[in-house]
Amino acid sequence: MARRTFRRKRGGALVVTLYPQEVELLVMTARDMITIVEEPPAGDVRDRLYPRAYLDPTEEKAQGEYDALVHDDLVRDRRTALEAIVARLDGVEPNSRGLVEITLPPGEEMQWLTGVNDARLVIGTALGVTEDLDTDFEPGDPRFEYGVLYGWLTQLHFELVTVLLDEIGEHGSDDVTDWPDDGPTERPGAPS
Amino acid sequence: MSSPDIQEITVPDTVEELLGGQEVRPDVPWVVLVWNDPVNTFAYVIFVLQKLFGFSRAKASRLTNQVHYEGKAVVATGAREKCEADVARLHAFGLWATMQKDD
Repeated sequence: MARRTFRRKRGGALVVTLYPQEVELLVMTARDMITIVEEPPAGDVRDRLYPRAYLDPTEEKAQGEYDALVHDDLVRDRRTALEAIVARLDGVEPNSRGLVEITLPPGEEMQWLTGVNDARLVIGTALGVTEDLDTDFEPGDPRFEYGVLYGWLTQLHFELVTVLLDEIGEHGSDDVTDWPDDGPTERPGAPS
Repeated sequence: MSSPDIQEITVPDTVEELLGGQEVRPDVPWVVLVWNDPVNTFAYVIFVLQKLFGFSRAKASRLTNQVHYEGKAVVATGAREKCEADVARLHAFGLWATMQKDD
């Protein structure tokens, strides 16, 4: 039977099952990313992690106020999420089946979701990923290892998103209300 | 501080005149845009839009398709402060979001 990385237990806890090598890779990646989200290299990676709120160059004052209000919180939340991943995985031992199985408290699910995605943003941007660029580089290519890491992070992230999408369901606040057949032919208050 | 010139005081007729002829449209809403990027996946963008804005799967999917195929989509509107808060929440999830006046 195929292993599922993320599985919701009865009662609500999210169980994460990883091979020890995956744990090692995730801890290493998260640790590396802590430094980068705190002080990203100027250029594409920084612009992608911390984009401007205002594209309009005449809104410099508003942009400055946005940065003053938001930037430090964004950095702190990113760092905290990555630290939570490291803390949850550091020193864990595999079970008798050779797998590491951990249970995430509810608050950590979003931290894993955003922490893994932030790593994808950094690595994908550094690799110059585009819609058409496959990250399966040839083994001699200097991008080979990060290409493999990016592919694995993408798969891991997709598995988590799949679980969360399934749980959030189809319905939303914009759902159209069904009016009964014998009800008013026009919505109350609608302009006539 | 210099003393005000009180030789001539004219009372402006309109708010526009009071503000020196600047265009005053306090009711002009702002829009929050999400832009296409090659890293965030369809599924993730749909999830984030459902989670942050309470959209149905259908609406979140339609907007995500628009982002992907047209390059951007308006996901929220409102006053400047509300839009800044929305942009900040989208940035926290790693989406490429900006805001501008809805001209």
